Amino acid sequence: MKLRFLTFVCSLSTLAGSWVSAEEIPAPIQKIISNSCLECHDADSEKGDVNLDSATIDWKNIQDLDIWQRALNAIDEGTMPPPDEAQPTEEERNSLFAFLDENLLEHTPIGGTLPRRLNKAEYEATIRDLVQLSKFKLPLGFPKDTEYHGFDNVGEGLVLSPPHLNAYTEVAREIADQIFPPERAAPKIQKWEAGPEDMVLSFSAATVHGDALRLVSRSVDIMRSCTWPSRIEIGDSGTYQMSVSASKFLADTGHPFEEPMLLAVYARPVSATDRSTIRSFRLLKEISVKTESPEVTTFEADLYKGETLLFHWANAEMTHAHAELSAQFEEWFKTDPRFLAAWQKAVFRAGDIRNPQTTSLRGRNGWDIVSKHWADPDLDLSEATMDSKMTKRFLQIADSNNGTFNLADALCHFYHNNGPALEFHHLTVEGPSKLVESPADKARENIRQRITGVRKEGQSQEDFAREMLKSFLPRAFRRPVSDETIASYLTIATRHWDEGHSLDEGLHLLLRNILISPRFLYRSLGPEKMDDFDLATRLSYFLAQRPPDATLRDLAERNRLSPTIPAGPNGERKEYWVLRREAERLLPTRETAPFIQSFVGQWLDTETLSGIMPDPKFRFEEDSTRLAKRETERFFLEILAKNLPMTDFIDPDFTFTSVNFAARNYGFTPRIAKAGGNKLDTKAKAEFQRIGMKRGGRYGGLLGQAAILMATANGVDTQPVIRGVWVLENILGTPPPPPPKNVPALTPDTQGATTPRELLSAHTREAACAGCHQRIDPVGYVLENYDPVGRWRTEWPVSNAKIDPSGTLPDGTEIKDAIEFKSWLVENIDLFSQCLAEKLMIYATGRVPNYAETREIEEIVKRNHETGNGFRDLLLSLIESETFRTK
Amino acid sequence: MKSKRPSALHTINRRLFLRAGTATLALPALEAFSAPASETATARNFISIGTWLGWHQNAFFPKEAGRDYLMPTTLQPLSGQRDQFTVFSGLDHRAPNGHGSWSNFLCGSRPETYSLDQQIADQISGKTRFSSFELTAGAGEVSKAMSFTKQGVGLPMIQRPSVFYKQLFISEADRTRSEYLLRSGQSSLDPVREDAMRLQKSLTGRDSDKLEEYFESFRAVEKRIGRQIETINDPVPTTSYKLPSYDPITPNLQIEAEEIMYDLMTLALETESTRVISLFLHGLGQVFSFDGEALSAGYHGLSHHGNDPVMIRDLVAIETAHMHCFAGFLKQLSEKKNTAGKSLLDDTVILLGTGMGDASRHSNANLPTLVAGGGFNHGSHIAIDAEKKDAPLLGDLYITLMQRLGLETDNFSNASHNMNQLFS
Repeated sequence: MKLRFLTFVCSLSTLAGSWVSAEEIPAPIQKIISNSCLECHDADSEKGDVNLDSATIDWKNIQDLDIWQRALNAIDEGTMPPPDEAQPTEEERNSLFAFLDENLLEHTPIGGTLPRRLNKAEYEATIRDLVQLSKFKLPLGFPKDTEYHGFDNVGEGLVLSPPHLNAYTEVAREIADQIFPPERAAPKIQKWEAGPEDMVLSFSAATVHGDALRLVSRSVDIMRSCTWPSRIEIGDSGTYQMSVSASKFLADTGHPFEEPMLLAVYARPVSATDRSTIRSFRLLKEISVKTESPEVTTFEADLYKGETLLFHWANAEMTHAHAELSAQFEEWFKTDPRFLAAWQKAVFRAGDIRNPQTTSLRGRNGWDIVSKHWADPDLDLSEATMDSKMTKRFLQIADSNNGTFNLADALCHFYHNNGPALEFHHLTVEGPSKLVESPADKARENIRQRITGVRKEGQSQEDFAREMLKSFLPRAFRRPVSDETIASYLTIATRHWDEGHSLDEGLHLLLRNILISPRFLYRSLGPEKMDDFDLATRLSYFLAQRPPDATLRDLAERNRLSPTIPAGPNGERKEYWVLRREAERLLPTRETAPFIQSFVGQWLDTETLSGIMPDPKFRFEEDSTRLAKRETERFFLEILAKNLPMTDFIDPDFTFTSVNFAARNYGFTPRIAKAGGNKLDTKAKAEFQRIGMKRGGRYGGLLGQAAILMATANGVDTQPVIRGVWVLENILGTPPPPPPKNVPALTPDTQGATTPRELLSAHTREAACAGCHQRIDPVGYVLENYDPVGRWRTEWPVSNAKIDPSGTLPDGTEIKDAIEFKSWLVENIDLFSQCLAEKLMIYATGRVPNYAETREIEEIVKRNHETGNGFRDLLLSLIESETFRTK
Repeated sequence: MKSKRPSALHTINRRLFLRAGTATLALPALEAFSAPASETATARNFISIGTWLGWHQNAFFPKEAGRDYLMPTTLQPLSGQRDQFTVFSGLDHRAPNGHGSWSNFLCGSRPETYSLDQQIADQISGKTRFSSFELTAGAGEVSKAMSFTKQGVGLPMIQRPSVFYKQLFISEADRTRSEYLLRSGQSSLDPVREDAMRLQKSLTGRDSDKLEEYFESFRAVEKRIGRQIETINDPVPTTSYKLPSYDPITPNLQIEAEEIMYDLMTLALETESTRVISLFLHGLGQVFSFDGEALSAGYHGLSHHGNDPVMIRDLVAIETAHMHCFAGFLKQLSEKKNTAGKSLLDDTVILLGTGMGDASRHSNANLPTLVAGGGFNHGSHIAIDAEKKDAPLLGDLYITLMQRLGLETDNFSNASHNMNQLFS
């Protein structure tokens, strides 16, 4: 990425060189520069790769612009010259600032977004909208978008290379195949067979005993309860005949199961994730299994391309649901104290109820331990009463997030060994006896008509296609289309028909080609001055990540998107009231909205969470990760929707999570209004909800949220430098330059010989590193009290050294810990607002704001601060800005 | 670099070369066979294989340097082929750490840049039907890339063996449809270009330059379609190889997928369908069972072993299973010989490694690396002391590999030497 940017800069500067546009720096300014800067930034030392040793500045050269803008920022923030060097007088500082400010403003005209190729998410949403393929997704292997300045929708970063166009060509063909399908060849009748050995074993869901595979749980999570043949995949959607052989497995251990066992057979796409719940699949048949000897059930059902079968025992005794599991244990313990004592011994190994261990009990291994204790004649029964503390604690654990799963996974093996279990013996699938239309086939007719319109009586193929192009192309290209363009495309179909191909083949070919046109693949294609079509497109992709809807298209067609009325105390500003109204209409109302998912995910890096697997010792599983991510997204939405002040991002009096999560990860028990004064039941505790908290605490606000503390760690340990860089870049908006080459990364020693602080103090000692690390390290260390999943800690793991989070901020403020850092941020909230505003503008306009644009944003941030500092107001003002409205 | 042996390949009858194989082949009329990339080349194919979660170093690196090392656990499956490969320790690209920089494996010190296999493919794949193949086994929900084009675009990988197979051995029905799609696609490109040019004319300066990317890609697609149409009626190799009736695409079937991919890779080289293939071995949470026993945790979980001996044992068990598949691949290649006795293995440079030095610590230093085939003088463990001044980089080894394939180059990423002194 960086490289591409540099090459680009170089080629431009060579171009610019031919004009010789360099201007002499006035002598008094040169003198200030020479006295204050050149000690380090002359041609010889070039400290930080910055050389200011020149009598001229070429304001047309992007490299010069960049360097002098950085110089101006450093002067403005007072970070240069460094405190231990001779300082210029206040007057010198001001005149240097004024000189640079004036020139930079003049030479950075607002605008300049490059054509933006639709990124993957935008492409998908555009196709879903344009051709109504509601479930359209790009294939997994589609080339990844390159990020540029933290976002994947910036013109500069979105290259189009031969592999892209190849992939677009391929995808366009697939889309055309779905809408104008080629004739299907007669399917081959196939027969698949699967025995227990061919079925997937996942967690403790299934075990194989001789010629039978046993299922024991009715959990809705398929990986905890189901099995499926991973070697069957249906090729042709059609009707298939299936035979399933199953039986009851009952033992004489006092667990009868008299009613029929219900074996539910579902259709599951082979490529669906194993993390799915049973509800996401199509039920084909429920088989009543009544006998202990295998019985074969034969039935017919429709299976679609790409599917296999999935087996679930719907009325199993065993469950993985929290409250039900603890109730199940409770019942059992009442009648069998030895059973209770065995579990107590397995979970509280040292007899200490404060230190339960369930992770290692997962699965068969866990059950082996429990059953060994159960059979032990010397088993200690002293705590095995229903009212002992240990029993109560155990039942609590059985009703907690991970406790439930771990204990249930162990208990499953009791049922695997002793029953009741449902035994699966054999499966055959044969067919298709006839082809059927999949749901996609059925939806096709509507989709087709939406694209082509209805062919009138007696209308020629050519006229039909012309009419179609007239209405479809403007939607596909998101603006009016000239007659010439329509004519070009029309020839594609007419020529194909002339060669003897069918109507559908011509339309198929036409659609394939429309979808590889640059007019479809790119946005921001117009001239500098955006018209209402461009504006509608920018607004719509920004806030809704989709092409303009009918309302926006209509406004653009009537040229009614950008009228203004005077605004401000003296009417000195213009309010773009229609644009503002439309923006308000498009603002997201749910945290699952694409704008929130995509913008928040990229700004705060929470999109990386799915790739982070926390170390098991943190007992932080999939559902916790999802909850953490949702907290941040919902929090962002709340501030936006309610127009809360910007300071709430940093130090709010609320968050959104579950009572359980707050207790477990944030260490506080929220006070929740309880209906009727009753205690919260298990369900209410697990519910995602608004939770009030005191301001000024450890938690709350972006810097105390689990999702962010996770995204800035790696699941295993924390790296203060990574968090520090993250804070500078995404909270303060002052990213450090990339580290110099050939510096070996310091890998933290998890075995714990030295504390990270000792290891990293090398940074601030080495002169080459100190410049940046004096800024990075303090804002990284200040978060060290949060572990890799965001829980508060006071000691580093392994070494047990006490954490020292204190430091000195760039402006010289001493801070003691994260809480003080947050109050500093609240006092200096415009730094954060400016950072967020710039991120929003990069995401919205697809370019990095230049100097003049940054200044316009600063004005907006300042004005907003004076008028309540609401986030929604800020966003709407940004949309009205010249920066937003210029290409 | 001088050619070590006279290459009999130039003159032999290809049928003899191929007869030794298990597949029956109806041969395509390909001229590439008699024309190596350059006079100095002694190997013509390049294979790279990389594991997402690295290779546990203690079980991969032999304790002793030189020829008389004791075979480490992970490499045990290769015991019988000891003189056909070389293990390297102490090499890396000095790239940043973390999973995010994994692609340093083939890209060097700067991840997600022009990868080794693509640099090679762009130079040597000339007349083969496919410039290169990118394959993966065990991929799940996440899309990643191991190979990157000159522009830094990650190349999509084929996950289904049946898709790879269909490209190699296209059926008559598929061929008719492909030909229709290619020809109709080709015939309709002109109006699209015409309209695109109209658009470009309306743009100015940098915008117009940016759109040049589109035209460049357009020409490349056009050329590719042309090349495919030219070869579509060439006799396509046929094979008696039987694919299973399903695609082993779920992560738990990774080892099975891997074996099939190796079989098809052998066939692809044997039929000269391509010269360059990369294979990515993903690692997710899949729990493997070996000999009916489920391992103690998922693959990813095991890689964060935190030095727990049981976890390491199970991790190494998975890596040893990968190595079993790899040993089978080497065996297949070595058994396919031409009349002069040169094997397909000697004609193929194989690089097996990873972009992750130690997954437990997310460190990308000291990347486990193994080179097989290519007619090198194998049989040693070449241990590099990375602390030493002027210690060779992994890129230096890559330069040696490229030179063996006939590329005249002295540079790769941050490396500008070669390792010909240590390894030839």
